[in-house]
Amino acid sequence: MNIVVFIKQTFDTEAKIVLDGNGKIDANGVNLIINPYDEFAIEEGIRLKEKFGGEVTVVSMGGARAQEAVRTALAMGIDKGVLVSDPALEDADEYAKAQILTKAIAQIPYDIILVGRIAIDDGASQIAVRLAEALSIPSISSVLKLEVAGTQATATREIDGGTELIEVSLPAVITAQKGLNEPRYPSVAGIMKAKKKPLKTLTLADLGLSAGDLSPKMNVNEFSLPTPRQGGRKIAGDAAQAANELAKLLREEAKVL
Amino acid sequence: MATRQVYWNVEGHHWLYLFFIIALVIFGYGVYKRVKLWKLGQPENRWKDVWPGIIDVIVYTFAHKRILKDGYPGLMHASIFYGFLFLAFATAIITLQADFAVNIFHGWLYLFIKVTANLFGLAALIGIIVAAYRRYIQRPDRLDNKPDDAITLALLFAILLTGFVIQGARIAVLPDPWAGYAFVGQWMSIPLKALLNEAQLLSLHVFLWWLHLALAMAFIAYFPYSKLFHVLLGPLNQFFRNRGPIGIPEPIDFEDESLETFGKSQLLEFSWKTLFNTDVCLRCGRCQDNCPAYLSGKHLNPKRIIQDMRVLMEETGVALQSQNKVLAQAAGQEAAAASESEETEEWTGRALIGEVIPEDDLWACTTCRSCEQQCPVFVEHVDKTIDMRRNLVLMETRFPSEAQLAFRNMENNGNPWGIGWSTRADFLTGLGVKTYEEDPTAEYLYWPGCSGSFDARNQKVSAALVKLMQAAGVHFAILGNEEKCCGDSARKLGNEYLFYSLATENIEVMKGYGVKKIITQCPHCYNFLKNEYPQLGGNFEVIHHTVFLLDLVKSGRLKLSNADRKTVTYHDSCYLGRYNEIYDQPRELLKAVGLDLKEMAHTGEKSFCCGAGGGRMWLEENEGQRINEMRTDEAIAVKPDYVGTACPFCLTMIADGIAAREVGEQMKALDVAEILEKAL
Amino acid sequence: MAKGIFIIVEQRNLQIRKVSLELLSQGRKIADETGEPLVAVVLGQGIEELAPTVTASGADKVILIDDEKLAEYTTGAYTSVLNKLIRKEEPQAVLLGNTAIGKDLAPRLAQRLGVGLASDCTGMETDPNSFLTFKRPIYAGKAFAHLTSNVRPIMATIRPNTFPVVAPDAARTAEVVKEVAEIDASDLVAILKEVAIAASNRPELTEANIIVSGGRGMKGPENYGILEDLADVVGAAVGASRAAVDSGWKEHKFQVGQTGKTVAPTLYIACGISGAIQHLAGMGSSKFIVAINKDPEANIFNVADYGIVGDLFEVVPLLTAEFKKLVNE
Repeated sequence: MNIVVFIKQTFDTEAKIVLDGNGKIDANGVNLIINPYDEFAIEEGIRLKEKFGGEVTVVSMGGARAQEAVRTALAMGIDKGVLVSDPALEDADEYAKAQILTKAIAQIPYDIILVGRIAIDDGASQIAVRLAEALSIPSISSVLKLEVAGTQATATREIDGGTELIEVSLPAVITAQKGLNEPRYPSVAGIMKAKKKPLKTLTLADLGLSAGDLSPKMNVNEFSLPTPRQGGRKIAGDAAQAANELAKLLREEAKVL
Repeated sequence: MATRQVYWNVEGHHWLYLFFIIALVIFGYGVYKRVKLWKLGQPENRWKDVWPGIIDVIVYTFAHKRILKDGYPGLMHASIFYGFLFLAFATAIITLQADFAVNIFHGWLYLFIKVTANLFGLAALIGIIVAAYRRYIQRPDRLDNKPDDAITLALLFAILLTGFVIQGARIAVLPDPWAGYAFVGQWMSIPLKALLNEAQLLSLHVFLWWLHLALAMAFIAYFPYSKLFHVLLGPLNQFFRNRGPIGIPEPIDFEDESLETFGKSQLLEFSWKTLFNTDVCLRCGRCQDNCPAYLSGKHLNPKRIIQDMRVLMEETGVALQSQNKVLAQAAGQEAAAASESEETEEWTGRALIGEVIPEDDLWACTTCRSCEQQCPVFVEHVDKTIDMRRNLVLMETRFPSEAQLAFRNMENNGNPWGIGWSTRADFLTGLGVKTYEEDPTAEYLYWPGCSGSFDARNQKVSAALVKLMQAAGVHFAILGNEEKCCGDSARKLGNEYLFYSLATENIEVMKGYGVKKIITQCPHCYNFLKNEYPQLGGNFEVIHHTVFLLDLVKSGRLKLSNADRKTVTYHDSCYLGRYNEIYDQPRELLKAVGLDLKEMAHTGEKSFCCGAGGGRMWLEENEGQRINEMRTDEAIAVKPDYVGTACPFCLTMIADGIAAREVGEQMKALDVAEILEKAL
Repeated sequence: MAKGIFIIVEQRNLQIRKVSLELLSQGRKIADETGEPLVAVVLGQGIEELAPTVTASGADKVILIDDEKLAEYTTGAYTSVLNKLIRKEEPQAVLLGNTAIGKDLAPRLAQRLGVGLASDCTGMETDPNSFLTFKRPIYAGKAFAHLTSNVRPIMATIRPNTFPVVAPDAARTAEVVKEVAEIDASDLVAILKEVAIAASNRPELTEANIIVSGGRGMKGPENYGILEDLADVVGAAVGASRAAVDSGWKEHKFQVGQTGKTVAPTLYIACGISGAIQHLAGMGSSKFIVAINKDPEANIFNVADYGIVGDLFEVVPLLTAEFKKLVNE
């Protein structure tokens, strides 16, 4: 079975967000990790290979540091990696990134494509579904459970307040939701082996694209930071008094009741 | 002149040497078989510390130092030990006299031996009786009974009893002006004389003499096949004891590309000393009696682990033997000899991890080392557990899922909670403490550790310590955001790789600033910085805050009032106490501020773990009682106002225990630094 | 000339989801500001009865696409239908709620239309140059991005609870148009085999305006009753911290926090919750936070607008009584 996993390297969840001199998000000294939702995709990809045989390839887009993310995926058990690295990526929007991925995957045979359902940095959760559309294959998003039999995939998908069971023919794009599996911890043996696994780096030119091809459809004009939340007051008095005062404040001051 | 005829009434006593040789051969073969088993393990040099080794044998065998810490069985064992030791001495003298023509068995030496042989022999006899009573009537939980136990007790009892009856029979027949010195024999002789005539007494004497000899020879022959072997192995194990960093196996050199396995999963990957360990253990059960996991209802039992490894060792030996037999038959003698020296093939017997030792047992250990501390023969349990954890983490990646979160957090943000690394210094710099970058000339590096930096409760301890140090005019600085977790949780959980990366980074940063002296409030950090970082090239002078504060108080640099008349009980942290033998300094500090110090049931070397060590702070406790609640119950029994701690984990666990038992109104858990700060 | 603001109305079992009403309310404001007509697009089966509600909420025109293949949402059918409709009608903007459906449908539709998409927006305003400008949280709300588009239609999904719902105006009228569902067979690739919705009379956690949440201080599953009583008085949802879920007191679907659900209600009442950073990550953008905790040093008090230091077992029932009084006034 040919399995492709798409991952993104993101800021660590604890990173402090500051703006640099140009009003852009400052990545200096920030700890980078694999997008946690993509780890579910990696784990599912490896499990499918363990069950059906075949090969898993991990694809990512990013700068030089993204190589660490790809190597970690290789250490978990993925066979080969492809990294698209180009300065023009910085200004690409979701539409453009989907185009890039389409080209990157063109050379890789795939029966199933696994991605995390959302990236914790931009929180847009668009690229996987866009990619499926660009490849004209079906997509199932926010999958909690996946079963593959032959060329059919049956997925339990999370919806508001419940779940759906959807059956689809492969190839398809599956986006992973938390709970799909428990991602494995890379073994030291895996880490050592990963150093020798193939990792191909491609530029946009290698994919036959130029910066001009990627004019964004949606423009980010600026970034801003939220106003910090202040700790509020503690309401004095015994339980009865405090409850009474709180109800009053919620109605009159906060106007929420 | 005082003496007696040696071998009176015994003809042909020289035959005993033949029997002795036979017994020795059987003995020798038994030893050889065991040695062969131990040699299946990997090489390890435990012979290098000769003088410390000899001193340890004198202290722990001859002075019975650890054995006597448990009063009742300790005295019982001492009487048996010294009893037999002395009787062996007496026998040696007689042998010299009888067969080596060394004419000494007379005069004061004779009388001395007569009296002491009786005294010690009687003590030994009483000891054996008490031992049997304890084992079979009282039946303490920590003793399990096997036929070997009964045989040994019966054998020793029989040897001692026959010895006295022989003496009694002789005294009954032969007039002995010094019979009073052999008071037991003399008492024996009274009923003997009353019941039997002289001819009968003579026959009895001869019969018992040969019986006694047979039993003694049986003793020698049986020795290496039974628990009696501990008489030799115990002192040897004390000689071989680990004198390096305790509770931890050798570090792994991850730069070595040729390494294929990390940690140990097969019995034969361990050294011969581990296999030797399993034979030394004589199931006294002191480890079990003091293991917090066992006592709180977990399956883990340190005694059982060692014994189960022993059984596996024997199974391995048997399997290898039959393997070699097959090979010998198949390919002739030469090939068999060659294969004996080859590596063993893939082991197809029971798996060490999983079948012999359940994985849960490996994770249940808090590495408190009470087992190792109580063991009179210095069996080492904890480093084996960590070595097997290493295999599970680094090779199999099969470990509790909570640990994975802790690992990830340490990897990404340098602390097990996963709080942003860039906020590490916030609390302390908020108190006005300078970083080394700002103040490179600081005399001391203050290492608050992850708890002291991030955990709300322990930040208060840091604040208290900072205030005390400032009041005493200590010039210190912190590493700030450059400080990373010391790596304790990673290493103890078996993630040697993560520990390696954390430690090497920390060492590099500290060397970069020329750090020489470190003060820390966390015993885990203390233990690591002091004892384990040198393995990776980091050598610093590390001081625990209680030791440092006591120095300040004694030298007058820190003035405290001693007006606090409340009651306090001090909880010895495993990593401060058992790992680093710091017991008194925190207590002196508590007394210095006027507190009334009371001790809990388990104190000092026997202190009962809070349950958070060995990385267990980050794991869920699913079986049995909660260890920290058991410890809190001990504290409650003492009715203190404060429970004093000197460790952030202990503080958290006991505070949690107090909350769980809902006694927060009656007592508070406080770090020693916090108690001192009140007295400023 | 592109015309109209399209709101893709989401319905389930012929109940219109609250976020669609929020979008219609805000859409109405934008329509009034810009002079563009507000068009509500409803897909489903037997949906004719929904037209009056949608009209009363502010639509100028209602497009109904009624087909049995649209009775339940499937990515393929809905994308196919909307793609054709939008290419035909050429609206200025197409807005959806950032629900499970919105997250799945919007990107696919945007890619098929060849346009951009601003997802999970928490702010939307008119703009003289680019018609609409959006504000959306990034890095779990630690920063915001401000977006516009020069391509038409502008597409965006809006986070539930961002905009208020205006009172319906039954007097309003709208043009109601029925369109035929044009579905390519090639789009019917996914077979929906079953839908399992957990029955509950309480609002869904991510949609609720008010949430009453319990943590370690609840001491056990049987004690959540007092929180449920409080919740039911004001129509709130009930949530739980990780400590409570890990102890087995509440299922994971109730968990609020970094490893659970992210919620942004108007009012979040945290009972017996210490306020660890991981929990705050899930509810930190609530408009108002109330904390009830025995421990005065609990971290939650650092972010709570109103805090009561006390025994929640005493305070919560008293609060329920006070809320009852207010609701009955």
